[in-house]
Amino acid sequence: MKLPSSILALVLFATTAAPAATTIVRGPYLQSATPTSMVVRWRTDATEASVVAYGTTRDKLTLLAKSEGVVAEHIVQLTDLQPATQYFYVVGAAAPKPPTGKAAEDAPVRAATSTFTTPPPVGTAKPTRVWVLGDPGTKNAVQIAVRDVYRKYTGGRPTDLWLLLGDNAYPDGTDADYQKAIFEMYPDTLRTSPLWPALGNHDAKSANSITQSGVYYDIFTLPTRAQAGGMMSGTEAYYSFDYANIHFVCLDSHDSDRSPAGAMLQWLKADLAGTQRDWIIAFFHHPTYSKGTHNSDSDTDSGGRMNDMRAIFLPVLEAGGVDLVLTGHSHVYERSPLIDGHYGKSPTFDATKHVKQKGNGRADGDGVYRKPRRRAPHVGEVSVVTGSAGHASARPVPLDHPAMIVSFNEAGSSVLDIDGLRLDLVFLNEKGEKRDWFSIVKE
Amino acid sequence: MRRVSAVPAVLAALTCTGPLDAHPEIEAALSRLNAQITVTPADASLYVQRGELYARHEAWVMAEANYLRAAELAPDFPRLNRARAALDFANGRMAAARARLTRVLAADPKDAEALVLRARAHAALGTAAAAIADFNAALALIASPSPELYLERAGLYSSPGDALRSLDEGLSRLGPVVTLELRALALEESLGRTDAALARLDRIAGQSERKESWLKRRGDLLARSGRPAEARAAYAAALAAIAALPDWLRETPDTVRLAAELTRLTSSDS
Repeated sequence: MKLPSSILALVLFATTAAPAATTIVRGPYLQSATPTSMVVRWRTDATEASVVAYGTTRDKLTLLAKSEGVVAEHIVQLTDLQPATQYFYVVGAAAPKPPTGKAAEDAPVRAATSTFTTPPPVGTAKPTRVWVLGDPGTKNAVQIAVRDVYRKYTGGRPTDLWLLLGDNAYPDGTDADYQKAIFEMYPDTLRTSPLWPALGNHDAKSANSITQSGVYYDIFTLPTRAQAGGMMSGTEAYYSFDYANIHFVCLDSHDSDRSPAGAMLQWLKADLAGTQRDWIIAFFHHPTYSKGTHNSDSDTDSGGRMNDMRAIFLPVLEAGGVDLVLTGHSHVYERSPLIDGHYGKSPTFDATKHVKQKGNGRADGDGVYRKPRRRAPHVGEVSVVTGSAGHASARPVPLDHPAMIVSFNEAGSSVLDIDGLRLDLVFLNEKGEKRDWFSIVKE
Repeated sequence: MRRVSAVPAVLAALTCTGPLDAHPEIEAALSRLNAQITVTPADASLYVQRGELYARHEAWVMAEANYLRAAELAPDFPRLNRARAALDFANGRMAAARARLTRVLAADPKDAEALVLRARAHAALGTAAAAIADFNAALALIASPSPELYLERAGLYSSPGDALRSLDEGLSRLGPVVTLELRALALEESLGRTDAALARLDRIAGQSERKESWLKRRGDLLARSGRPAEARAAYAAALAAIAALPDWLRETPDTVRLAAELTRLTSSDS
């Protein structure tokens, strides 16, 4: 919300006449990005007003947004932004004069100027980089190595958005776990790139989807009213959003009703039927296919959730034209070719029936996967289990699911680039090696 | 006669790792608890914690063994009833779950999660009125309830009118959530309230970039209600919506089929 600067200055003067020496202990971080709005969140060690000063040039942060109240958990929505536009911003209790030039880099966090770029107009194709982290939150050297490999890989190329596939903060998804595993681990990315998370089983130890309470739901601001595209879910547990020509769908594979008559599946059908984006990417925690640290054939492993996601949700996703399914939970990397229609256990996988295009999907290998641009049901999707951003398995794992063409027991993260009608995914291990890559081209 | 000691079996049940093997951090937590229990074997809280750890991973037998041990040591230990209730519920022992949850709620009537769980236990046991009362209490306490709670509550009413009022309360609080509107739409139609059903359809269609399937549904509803001229107009609007789609969406097999059906329906005299 924007307020006239003069009024805001008076209010701020009244509330900050004797400013306390507060420290930002979390963030700022970006949520629920749309072409015209952005939610900025941060936490201070003491209560104070919530103000974001922002603008399109670093030394002219003349626009101000604030939220009501004197709080420690700050949530401010910036509205009336221009699409595909870089903004600079500073958070605080008042509107500090931002440092400029080199001083900005050296300034203490309290006064640092951050930047973000708003998404382009919905439907517009734009080269888009997405960082995908499954099960990252171990807080250990492996998580750091995976992070640093990505930083080096992306270099000056901005991350347009990033996805967390659940088990974001071990062991219990507490506030302290999130502080170490997410907020102190990825401060730069949090400040500059909107984060879109999914709930994992470890996050659910400190959160409850039915009451939408607990740490995960307190920390994140996610669209319940289709603010960022798609159909209204009414819950932060599952939601969708658009970025450029991509429609992202986040499901709650852990804690929400996964039955065929359940609200999540009914919402998913309506959401998929309503989108006009070129690409549909689904992400959630429990994999549809895995023979890593979890076995998707087991009825008891993870309470049968993998079976549910494969047998109940995957048919709807594939009928709705999904292109890519990103999951975690299994602390490995496993990737299928272009497949469709496999909803049973692994012995029922029949390559002649379920593989829509065989090969590794690489331009420098067997050739990229090709799909018609016209959206048709059941023309193939690639399933990627990328659940090793915090650790791989310490023990040997089978890695023999017949639906998978590539499987590694290695820590790493995935990088997704979408440019128009081409999608590229790369898996980088913690040593910086490009271990898998493939492309899907629509024509 | 030599008596066979049950101790080894109980100990095995209390500490078996089983499905937790995949997670080193869980094994570490389990190891910590095991070590603490070795030092203070009469501390009920440690068994509760270990039981909860197992329960989170659906290792029910081990969870139950630990809860039982905690109950032997401290029957009134806080959290124990709640933990055992959740275990009973997960294992389909609804009457036991309900009884334990009643004790939990006696101690803390504002425990929304316990209210939801007891509502579900009531529902499973066929006591709908009690379930509705618990859902009502939970919904009053929860700041951001999920649509599922409204759907579950609505399903408990025998009267469609009451169910509709229940859903409308959710719609009023959460906004036009598609899942609530769809359930309400079916109820409106079952009550023969065509115009109210149409209004709900319009609200759903308003959210969707692609209108054609909702407009088709509008036409079908009008046709079933004996309003053929309006039905044809809805079908024509659906065709227009399809015509406005970009080629790559208009030419999909499903859309082509829908367009053919709409063309047939718009030219139909019935």
